[in-house]
Amino acid sequence: MIRADIVRLYKTVHTWTGITCGFSLFIAFYAGALTMFQEPIARWASPPSVGVAAVSLDNAPRLLELVAAAHPQARAEGIKLHLRGHENEPARVTWEEDEPHEPGQPHGHVHWWGTLNPDGKLLAKPEEPSELAEFINDIHMRVGIPRPWGSYFMGVISLLYGVALIAGVITLLPSLVKDFLELRVGKNLKRMWLDAHNVVGITALPFHIAIAITATALSLSSPLWSAQERVIFGGKQAILDDQENEPRRAPKPIGEAGVMMPPVQLLQKLKEQVPDLEPRFLVFKNFGDKAASVRVPGRERGYVGDYHLGGVMLSAVTGELLNDLTRPARQDPDRRAAETFYGLHAGHYEGATVTWAYFLLGLSGAWLFYSGNLLWIETRRKTARKGGEVEQSRSTRLLGSATVGVCLGCVAGISLTIVAAKWLHGRVDDLNHWHELIYYAVFLGSIAWAFASGAARSAVHLLWLCAAATVAIPLTTLTALLFPTLGMWAHGSIATIGVDVVAFVGALCFAWMAVATRRRITTGPADSIWSVRKADAATPPREPAAVAAE
Amino acid sequence: MAGDIRPDWWGKASAGVILGFGLALSLVGLYAYLGPGGIDAPGGRYSLMRYLEAFVWISVFSFCFLFRSGRSAWAWLGAANLIAFAALFACRFVFFA
Repeated sequence: MIRADIVRLYKTVHTWTGITCGFSLFIAFYAGALTMFQEPIARWASPPSVGVAAVSLDNAPRLLELVAAAHPQARAEGIKLHLRGHENEPARVTWEEDEPHEPGQPHGHVHWWGTLNPDGKLLAKPEEPSELAEFINDIHMRVGIPRPWGSYFMGVISLLYGVALIAGVITLLPSLVKDFLELRVGKNLKRMWLDAHNVVGITALPFHIAIAITATALSLSSPLWSAQERVIFGGKQAILDDQENEPRRAPKPIGEAGVMMPPVQLLQKLKEQVPDLEPRFLVFKNFGDKAASVRVPGRERGYVGDYHLGGVMLSAVTGELLNDLTRPARQDPDRRAAETFYGLHAGHYEGATVTWAYFLLGLSGAWLFYSGNLLWIETRRKTARKGGEVEQSRSTRLLGSATVGVCLGCVAGISLTIVAAKWLHGRVDDLNHWHELIYYAVFLGSIAWAFASGAARSAVHLLWLCAAATVAIPLTTLTALLFPTLGMWAHGSIATIGVDVVAFVGALCFAWMAVATRRRITTGPADSIWSVRKADAATPPREPAAVAAE
Repeated sequence: MAGDIRPDWWGKASAGVILGFGLALSLVGLYAYLGPGGIDAPGGRYSLMRYLEAFVWISVFSFCFLFRSGRSAWAWLGAANLIAFAALFACRFVFFA
């Protein structure tokens, strides 16, 4: 049995670490849940294009030859040949070229795509792809703070989250057997929320432990690596890192022309040599040279982890394996363990089941931090009450406003910035920059509104805003379908329709929450911050706009 | 019978953060030298090490509040750090130099 004083101690630890991290973790979990569908969102946001199917795989050799001849830089940087035909793949081949820049200055890349005209000539165009999905991932990783500080900040938050997790479990242990899975639905709302908070937290505990450890490690990667280098390896890490990257480096061109093996045959060769690799695209380096190579990243059946580091390299002339040290089955045990940790963080295993499970776990995690903050506020009220009704203290009112503003502002901001992908396409110059502007404007505006009109009132307004912004996602697709002249699009693939359907269901949830919150603020206990009754009766309204909305 | 546990929030938390990190680095460093393949093991190792470090760091930070006082947290964790770092530097500069 755990001593009562230890439980009390850890309750305090849980409360304070939780309150400190709650906001950031809500954003990280909500945006993180969406990144489980990063690819469908990218496909939803990508405008109609020439498409991969415009050039058959049999015609790909001609296309590759033309690109290599007309764009020498693409030969060296790598020409990507897409295999899947998703909407976010603008054409059969894409590549990057350096932006014009001063020597020695950092520079960006221009994205190109290339296809064949009906007369067999090359049609190549520079076009920036939508970075909406990457932006949501940025919000997930750094809550909107610029790098590298956002990463360091989230590393500290993740560390405290790990502590909050263990402290929460210790707090709950004594009553776990008695109370577990007992959801006391009834008059005592706070009891019910606490039960729900505990059930959600404990059932998802393995997920949360995995996320806390991996998020700390991933966010603090570069400081941890410098510390390792200085204290443990004493300079050896850089050498090992170099060796580690060797299998990923393409062989140098030898300057002699070679006959390239057609992609169809290359894929056949790949299947013979590495049957379990699932290629998504091929990257040709030094196309046309005798030493040309093709890199094939891809996940391998039967292994945790995705394609981000693994894969094989083939000769583009003979199709023989040049090396396959980075594919999961050949990775050294430490690399495999590290990749497994990463896969556990990103949900890269067992396919769609785990993707959906991680999506729901991520959302439930976001709810965990939201409810945790609200529980703290309610506990404050109970402690302060001692008999009669009390005024809410300043700190609880501020925390209430901040919780509502940050959490709902993040939700509404992400939904609206997704919607903007279709409405603003072709109407603004730098759409990717607009995605950021829209998100931050909605996010900061929501926080300001929450402080101006108080947690109770603003929660209802902002929940309706979330519902409206989210339902705008499927409505935009519907509008595109009904009014083709607007220049928007409605893709027909299951993945992109799925985005619309999930957004519609999400909007229904937000609307339901708005209705429930409205009921609570008008009929719930008057001394709660979730009530407008006392505020209306005792103090003259300070916020005319909010009263008008009532 | 253990005596009362004093909260000593700042004393314990600082020990947990600072000495927890030290312990994470030194213990995982020992794994780097003494684990399979030794210090010249392929580079997957240092990628794995950050996850192990995070695990040790979170564990020490979480359980440091069990110490009776901030002072005892610093004393015990400090001693553990000394031993672990001594072993690590012995590996780095003496046994595997």
